[in-house]
Amino acid sequence: MARREARARKGSGAGSGQEGKGLPAALILLPFFEVSYCFPRCLKFVSQPVKTVLITLITGLVLLGVMLRPWKLNEAVVALAGAGLLLVLGLITPQALLLTLVQDWNTFFFFLGMMGLSALAETAGFFDWLAAVTARLAGGSRRQLFLNTFLLGSLISMFLSNDATALILTPILYSLTTRLRLPVLPYLFACTFIADTASFLLPVSNPINIIVLSAFPLDLWTFLRFLFVPSLVAISINIGVFFWLYRGPLRGQFESKRLPPASASIPHQGYFRYTCIVLGLVAICYVIAAAVRVPLSFIAMAGALTLLFGAWYWKQNTLKETGKQISWSIFGFIAGMFILVQALENTGLIAQFGLLLLHLSGGTSEGAVLVGTVGTVAGTNLINNVPMAVVMTSSLHHLAHAPLAVQQGFIAATIFGCDLGPNVTTVGSLAPVLWLLILRRRGLEVSGLDYFKVGVMVTPLMLVAGAFTIWLLLQ
Amino acid sequence: MRVLCCLDGTNGERVSRAVSALLGLEERTIAVLYVTDTGPREEMERHRERHLRPPHPPLPRREQMRRAEGMAAQEILEEGSRSLGGAEMLQRTGRPEQEIVQAALEWRADVVVICSRTETEGVPHLGPKSVGHVARFVLDHAPCPVLLVRPL
Repeated sequence: MARREARARKGSGAGSGQEGKGLPAALILLPFFEVSYCFPRCLKFVSQPVKTVLITLITGLVLLGVMLRPWKLNEAVVALAGAGLLLVLGLITPQALLLTLVQDWNTFFFFLGMMGLSALAETAGFFDWLAAVTARLAGGSRRQLFLNTFLLGSLISMFLSNDATALILTPILYSLTTRLRLPVLPYLFACTFIADTASFLLPVSNPINIIVLSAFPLDLWTFLRFLFVPSLVAISINIGVFFWLYRGPLRGQFESKRLPPASASIPHQGYFRYTCIVLGLVAICYVIAAAVRVPLSFIAMAGALTLLFGAWYWKQNTLKETGKQISWSIFGFIAGMFILVQALENTGLIAQFGLLLLHLSGGTSEGAVLVGTVGTVAGTNLINNVPMAVVMTSSLHHLAHAPLAVQQGFIAATIFGCDLGPNVTTVGSLAPVLWLLILRRRGLEVSGLDYFKVGVMVTPLMLVAGAFTIWLLLQ
Repeated sequence: MRVLCCLDGTNGERVSRAVSALLGLEERTIAVLYVTDTGPREEMERHRERHLRPPHPPLPRREQMRRAEGMAAQEILEEGSRSLGGAEMLQRTGRPEQEIVQAALEWRADVVVICSRTETEGVPHLGPKSVGHVARFVLDHAPCPVLLVRPL
């Protein structure tokens, strides 16, 4: 709680008038910002309402840019441009900027460790091997393979995050089902949907959880108490509805003889065994660390470094190659978002938003779950779940005076909505869907709309059932 | 007569029977066409972007997918060609409906043989909406007559 208050008090030149107060690390780096900080002094005498308008305008433009991505600009470029503009205009001080980034170190390192773990496990053939074994266990039954896809996706999401399922397992399953001459779409959907549906089984199941939990550290038991059962409910609905939707294509068998042997996906036996052992240990350590509240980024980073050592020892991968497999732009995007939201925080708008949430919830736990879920799902599908999680996390700091059940309701709903919400449009942003609708109106057949239809059909059911379960568990 | 038969991996037998029964009396040149649908790949790309990643998967994964697509396409075409007495094999990649129309134009087909919908679309085979979007598009846009094959 003390950390939350400190975070809420964290100053900037824009609003709080607390320039110069920050971490020593921020002060050490201050000279590097002097050049860029010369210009802001001209805005020093601008009134607070004007600064508020400017910050809101810049943040709004950045969110619009992230949503529409003009000229196919990378989200990170848009977010960092916005943050840079805030700095240049003196709407956030260098100290506040550094403090914001330093305070969120756990999120950055978790992203890095998580991507490193996935990349190195992929090098070992771990995911290909799992998919091949899963297909063999299906015994030639399409339905069984479908169910196995859900189970494997849940397992991978649970311990290696939803990114691993959505980004690594999906193309593997695509290749497998294409090779088996099975209808690709049901299996592809199963994989992409379960990535998000199973992403609140554990704190490590989605990086979004880490963003929220870095600000509101819940112990493992509390996390599981509020989110594990809703997750199981959502997974069951996801599987049930999908089996009904795809009952036609799932009838019948496939020829197991077309399956490649599982061993064919392993480039080096020694490194593969080592990877399995390390990943097993990482999974256990994740659970223990979450239980005793050790930052999960430590485990992710330690696991990734251990795997990197193995890859180097067996000459399977190098630091440079692993670095190429990591999406560095994500860090820019998250950093930009943290800075923008911090600037907004200093205007008092975030506090107002937090109070509005509380007002809308009526100060009750059911209201908190309802408002939290609906709000995050809407925001997640309008922009992206990362900015939505950052905004919600920041605004929830201002609910410290609300009853504990309300606070917990909002925290659980934020994680739940931000994790599951992207499944509504399946692309996490409304903009591509709008484009698809426009294309269709022009007479083009667009496969993307089929995905959207599935999302609209299944996700509201999961959201309603999951939110109801969270509310029951809060009683 | 130049007959272009559209295969989807599940309809080889149906197409073969239809061609034998309805177009068997004339002298004919047959080609079998299989289009690898890029729709699922595009969806994967959209998904990657949602996870803030570059749209294309890493090169080894792309090659793995291309290999799987190539092997499946080759098998389907060879089976189709065998059942139609050594028909010419045409393989394309893209949106199936557009590629079929384009192939019919380029190959100068006199008739296109297509099934009303693929097994993979997973909806009832008879009644309203029994003609899938690929067949519907081909019926609307093909540069020649279309033989629509209903389920057996």
